Order: sequence, then structure tokens, then C-alpha cells
Amino acid sequence: MAATTQVSGIDRSILGTRIRQRRREIGLTQVALAERIGISASYLNLIELNKRRIAGTLLRRTAAALQVALDDLDGAAERRLLESLTEIAHLPSLDGLGIEDGRTGELIGRFPGWARGLAALARSERAATALAQTLTDRLSNDPFLGETVHRMLTRIAAIRSAAEILTEYPDAPAERRDRFHRIIHEESRALSDVGEALAAYLDKADAPDRRLTPLDEVEALFDARENHFGEIETAAAALAREIGPGHAGGRRDAARALVAARLREPIDDIIARQPQVETAAARERARRALAAYAVDAILMPMDAFAARAAELRFDIEALAAAFAADVTAVCHRLTALPRADGRPRFGYYRANAAGTLIEMLGLDGLAVPRYAAACPLWVLYGAQQSPETVVRQRVQFPTGARFVFVGRARNAGETGFGQPRHYVTDMLAMSEDDARHTVYAPTPSAPVEPVGPSCRLCPRQSCRHRVEDPLAE
Amino acid sequence: MLKRVLLAEDEPNIVEPLTFLLERAGFEVLVETDGRQALDAALARAPDVMILDVMLPELDGYEVLRRLRADRRAERLPVLVLTAKGQREDRETALDCGADRFITKPFANAEVVEAVEQLAGR
Repeated sequence: MAATTQVSGIDRSILGTRIRQRRREIGLTQVALAERIGISASYLNLIELNKRRIAGTLLRRTAAALQVALDDLDGAAERRLLESLTEIAHLPSLDGLGIEDGRTGELIGRFPGWARGLAALARSERAATALAQTLTDRLSNDPFLGETVHRMLTRIAAIRSAAEILTEYPDAPAERRDRFHRIIHEESRALSDVGEALAAYLDKADAPDRRLTPLDEVEALFDARENHFGEIETAAAALAREIGPGHAGGRRDAARALVAARLREPIDDIIARQPQVETAAARERARRALAAYAVDAILMPMDAFAARAAELRFDIEALAAAFAADVTAVCHRLTALPRADGRPRFGYYRANAAGTLIEMLGLDGLAVPRYAAACPLWVLYGAQQSPETVVRQRVQFPTGARFVFVGRARNAGETGFGQPRHYVTDMLAMSEDDARHTVYAPTPSAPVEPVGPSCRLCPRQSCRHRVEDPLAE
Repeated sequence: MLKRVLLAEDEPNIVEPLTFLLERAGFEVLVETDGRQALDAALARAPDVMILDVMLPELDGYEVLRRLRADRRAERLPVLVLTAKGQREDRETALDCGADRFITKPFANAEVVEAVEQLAGR
């Protein structure tokens, strides 16, 4: 009963507002309309202020006088919208915001676009919440996870119990003590197997959800190939001989033309064989990325590049000068170096001035949040304070893992007086162990900066730069 | 006479430390590694206390507990449920089935020994 009253009450409030709006649209005064429908102007005023109800013959006459269909004045779409907004107004999460519940009709009448937008937002919020719920359920009901956690806890129980006995009963007979040592040994091995299985499972479970955009799909392709495409390298090494000497820009254009003419098919082949690239948009992006890879491979053939890189101890600026290339291209080539003994592994990251990661050629063990707010302490974000300068940073993650980051911001906008500068940062990453083989090797006394992956994933409670709480306490 | 603890647990590497601890604390320990045999032993061998794992082969711990509580010979046997399933609903299920104590794995040795001593009325 209450619901019916409320709905008809709100219906009325839409009607009055819409009558006024339509009347003004067609340039009719209140007096003129009142005359045409045979009521007093003051009564029409009350109707338009939603203080009097209008229905039946009078409503039909009004619609006719306003030259609109009755449905448009009292439309079903509005009613649905009204129901949605009424529902929104009563959402517990909006309690205390002072939503003008009684004026929903007025909102729809005066700002139909905003009203529809609000309803659409509420719909997508509901959908997102439902999805989050499904994922949460999946996590808590996943039989594999449940079983694995159970096994881990059982292993840990055995280790803990045996270890406590060894400490608390030093008088236990030697053969019993041996048994407990063996239990700890056995169970910790089993525990690390379970841990590995769990990590592999989470990696796999994560995969379909992680590649959300074409950019992610292309990154997954490079990831799967460890940033190295042998078939392109071989073809590029042959094509390199066809390009004569000349200035850098000319050589680059020639390399581009060769790639377009001769490497299109091999590139398409690579993409077709990679399950990571699923969408048409991603295939297009992958084509561009691999074509750029091929151009770099022609201008800096792998054998020559690898030799020179080792000689110059992976100095990106020296390499850029040696190959008349830019630092970005050199960084790309460094990540493409195949694995070899004593050769460092590199990751490459590029961020714009807003801190958005725009390219990533990942490095094992270094997780970079793509969408979440990243850790602002990385030189990837700090290098823009001193553009065109190579900045080295020695960092330690909360896990204890140490990396060396080398960042350099460059102007990607127009050059010229008065032109805006738009800096992007190229950053090369390597493990601290690997950095020893490079010019970027930190001296033992170089400061170690504590950083994290992102606030949400970082346990450093006391960090002054924290902007969000960690997900897990 | 030594008080007798029936330990129903299928993980040998948990059985061994617990057996050692309980013997040191002056109990006689009987071990069964599946639910059905644990149930039989609980009924036939008159233990003073039972330590019961939930994930047992043949018959799970909850079922063992239900059947014990339905049998006059064991309706009063003090039972300590010891499990890696530590969520609230697991605890509730265990208590609903008639458990006297609920301890989750991994456990502190002293906690288990003290609970058994309490349940044995010492």
C-alpha cells in the first residue's frame, strides 16, 4: 500500500514538472495553457509545482494542448527510471548523504540525462559488485585452494610440533631426535612443493582475467617469448646487410621499408601461433610492436649488439651513441638479449607524466601494478624531476629482493621555444646481482631505498608516502 | 593406571610428535589412522580422551563424532577435535557434532597437552 502511494505521488511530481517544461519549450504562457485546457492559471500553477494531481480527461486535454502524446508526458521509461532512482536513494551505502528522496521526479524532469546517467552507474556498480562476489566465492569455495591450504597447514603443524619438541626436550633419546629432524626435513620439502603448486595454480587462475586490454595481450606475447623473437632476429640479420651506410634517419626509414616489404608474413605467423593474442585490436598492436622490434633488430643486429653491449657494460647512452639509436630502442634491444651465462636480464618500463605505465617488457620477479596506484618512490616516476639525466636507484622490496633501476626522462613533445614539454621516462630494471656486470653496479655503500610494488600490496606501514591501506594487514 | 588417549590421525608426521608428547605427559597412546577403526577403538577400548582429526579416510571425523554421541558406550567420551579446517563453520560443525574442544593446526604442543590433561580430568 505504501509503495503504491509513493509511486503515484512521485508520478504526479514528474507530470507537473514535465508539463511546465513542455509548455516553456513551445513558448506558451501559463495563462494561455490554462485557458486552452479550461482551468485557472493558479490551479495550473499548482499542478506544475506538483502540488495538485492531474489525471483523466484534464491530462489528455493538457497533452493535446502541449502537442505531445500522453505517453510522453507520463512515460513508462520515466517510471522505470523513477523506480531505479528511488531504489538508489535508499541504498544503505548512501545513507547520511541527505539525498532529496522526495524530489526524484523533479530531478528526472529537469535533468533527464543526469538521471539516466545515475541509473546507468548504479546498474554497472551492481554488475561489478556481483562479479566481485562471484570471484570471492570462487576463491573461498575453490576445491583446489581449500585442499592446498589444508595440506599446507598440516605440513606446518608437523614441522612446528617437531621443532618445539627438539627445543623443549633436549633430553629426548638420540633416535627420537633424529626422527623429529627427519620429520622437519621431509615436511619442509613437501611444504615447498605445495607452495610451488599453489603459486603455479594462482598464476594460471589469474591468466584469463589479467589480459584485459589489447596492450596486456601484447605484453603477454612478449612475456611468453621472454622478449626475444629468434625468427625475426635471423631474418633481420640478413636484411641488415642490404642497408648501406648513411645517416641514422635514412637507415631507419630504409629498415622500416624492408620490414614492411619482407617481414610482414613471418610477423603474422608469430602472432597466429601465439594464444596470448586473442583480439583483432591486439593483433594489430602486436604487428606494430613486432615491426618496431624488427626495425631495431635490423639496425642493431643481435650478434653485434650483444658483443658491443658486453664491451660497454650495458651503458644505455654509450650504446645509443654506438648504434646512432635512441635510448628507448637500446632498452628494447637489451630486453631482447637471449639468456646467456653472465649476461644480465633486463626489464623495461615506460611511464608518462601522469605516472601511467605505457609500455612494459617485464622482468621475472618484478611485479609492476598496471592499474593500481604504483609506488611513487620508483625512479620511473621520480626521473622526471631531472629530465635527460640518467638516474640510478638501488631499491629493496618488502620481500627483500633487490633491484637496480636506471631511469631517464626525455621530452616526447615538440621541441622549440615555448612548446610544451611532455616528458616520458624510460626505465631499465635489473636484479642487483645482475647489475654487477654493468656500469650501473652500485658501490657497496650506495644507499638502498625501500620501495614497494604498490601501496595496496606493500606492508611498509610506516612509509610516509603511503596513500592507500594495504590489502592484507 | 595410566590414562589412555586415542589418537585418530592419518598423518604419520603428526602422530609421531603427538605420541611422544602425550607419553611424556604420562598417557598411554592408541593410534588409529582411519575413521572406521577409530570409531571401533573408541567403543571397544574405553579410552579416557580422544583426539580426532576431521579429514580421515573411510569415515570423516564429524561422522565418527556423531556415531560416538549416538552410542551409550561413548556418549560421554571427551573428544578434542584437531584440524587444519579452522573456519568458523568448521568449529561450529565440530561443536554441533558434540566435540568438547576444538584446536586448529598448526597447534602449540603445550596447548594440546593441556587440553588433553583437562579433558582427562587431571
